Amino acid sequence: MKSKRKNWTDYTLPIAFGVMIILLWQCKVFHALLGLQTYQLPLPTDIVSALSQNFGKTLSDCIVTISGAMIGLVIGSCIGFIFAVIATWFPKWGYGSIILISAINAIPLVALSPIMNLWFKTGMGQRIGVVTIVCMAAMTFNSYSGLSSIKPFSLDLMQMTAANKWTVFTKLRIPNSLPYIFTALKINIATSIMAAIISEYFATSTSGLGFGIKDNLRKAEMAMGWGYIVVASIVGVILYCVIVLIEHQAIKWHPSQR
Amino acid sequence: MFVLHHSSLYSLGTEINFKARSFGKGAELTQCLFVLIGKNLILLALNFTERFSAKTHRDGANAYEKEMGGAFMTTTGIQVKDVSMAYTGKNGEPISALKNINLDIKEEEFISLLGPSGCGKTTLLRLIADLLQPTTGTVSILGKSPRETRLARKFGIVFQSPVLYDWRSVRRNICMPMEIMGIPRKTRTSRINEVLDLVGLRNFGTKYPFELSGGMQQRVGIARALALKPEILLMDEPFSALDEFTREKLNEDLLKIWSQTKKTIIFVTHNIPESVFLSDRVVVLSPHPGRVSAVVDIDLPRPRSASLREEPVFYEYVAKIRKSFEGV
Repeated sequence: MKSKRKNWTDYTLPIAFGVMIILLWQCKVFHALLGLQTYQLPLPTDIVSALSQNFGKTLSDCIVTISGAMIGLVIGSCIGFIFAVIATWFPKWGYGSIILISAINAIPLVALSPIMNLWFKTGMGQRIGVVTIVCMAAMTFNSYSGLSSIKPFSLDLMQMTAANKWTVFTKLRIPNSLPYIFTALKINIATSIMAAIISEYFATSTSGLGFGIKDNLRKAEMAMGWGYIVVASIVGVILYCVIVLIEHQAIKWHPSQR
Repeated sequence: MFVLHHSSLYSLGTEINFKARSFGKGAELTQCLFVLIGKNLILLALNFTERFSAKTHRDGANAYEKEMGGAFMTTTGIQVKDVSMAYTGKNGEPISALKNINLDIKEEEFISLLGPSGCGKTTLLRLIADLLQPTTGTVSILGKSPRETRLARKFGIVFQSPVLYDWRSVRRNICMPMEIMGIPRKTRTSRINEVLDLVGLRNFGTKYPFELSGGMQQRVGIARALALKPEILLMDEPFSALDEFTREKLNEDLLKIWSQTKKTIIFVTHNIPESVFLSDRVVVLSPHPGRVSAVVDIDLPRPRSASLREEPVFYEYVAKIRKSFEGV
């Protein structure tokens, strides 16, 4: 097995690249290139100072949005997985659930948010509702592939030990679907944050990252609006890294982790 | 038992055709229609009777077996009696994969099913394993049906590819079937140690499949089958994906294991020297439809070692078997 040797340049070079982009931004290179003014694209220093002035408010908004996104992510992924299980367990008619999910997946976010507004009284309920529905599809499609694409002969092998359907599921299909489930979770992390933010645009609530972005941009507080965008991105990256770390521990055996 | 044969249905078809013709030249349209309807009816009937007859035939055989209490059935070895297997092709026509196979396999015998691809050797193995059901004919294993034998977990099976569970270490891979069978943990551990020694992988128990070479993976597959202490070991071209050197090494290892454990082994292969080197008997199958064209007893002394491959008597057997393919 080829061992991966970590070089110091493996870390420093990407970081240097990122710092360089921010420096170019600070030195208004992008403004010159794209013909923008600083109120259209605030400078990094302005964004940071606006954020530090409103740190408490940003943090509480962030917690509201992210907790809603995560709860929705978990519920949506579970429901999505159950649909995939139904499709695999009942091959004759179960595929209907996949079709149902693709239909739900086609509902645009801007339509979904007002509907959820009607369904749920609270902002949190609406947020979770939207995220749940948006997170179902990726999980269903991916885990269905994982549950059904098993190595040739492995079902025969199960049959030779007279294994029942439940055993085949728990010992063969579900472990086999783990890499696919992680792929779905990685997709869903970004999707859930995005869906939660967009849902707040249509909500009656007055908290959350989405409300913050909308409110500040409306009030022409551009630096603060951008501050919220930066926070949303950072949280997205952190959560993505958490999932990747868990994945690395959970499926060490998979080719993607070598 | 009433079984409608294809031939009789076919003659029925021509008869209808003939009768339609006798209506005279003026009734050409009627004739066409009649033939058309007749053909479809026959196809339908054929389809139905085939299913029905196969089912009744099997049920009948089972009932017979039960009635006689196995008195006239041998309770030793494996008997394959008049087994035929037909698939339905793309156009609905039956494709015969195996035709009238008769085979007696003794206990503790090492028997090879040899033939070119498409001769139905894997199909025959799967019929014995109850992974497929024959269209007609019966298979009996120690006086039981293949299904009973499978449900009693008396088979061990090794496939062309190792079919390992990527997420389990070597030890836990070997453990999997035993877990399913509910063998207690202590027995499992001791058996895993035992079979790892047998296949020479004692130091690789904690490795994962991706850390092993193809030959090692196949050994794990064999170890997993052996750990069940099966009465019958079915091997479906287990070494066909390996290079010549590894294959010959594993052949020698397999013989060693077999001499220590004394199972009945049914070994499917398309490699003539391999079959001669390993077997007590080689069953030569020929294709279209798959049938037994020769059964060759290999009277070579055991234990056999690598040097056997250099001896003239070995070549004689190889030549003899190769000759049996000629004129097929």
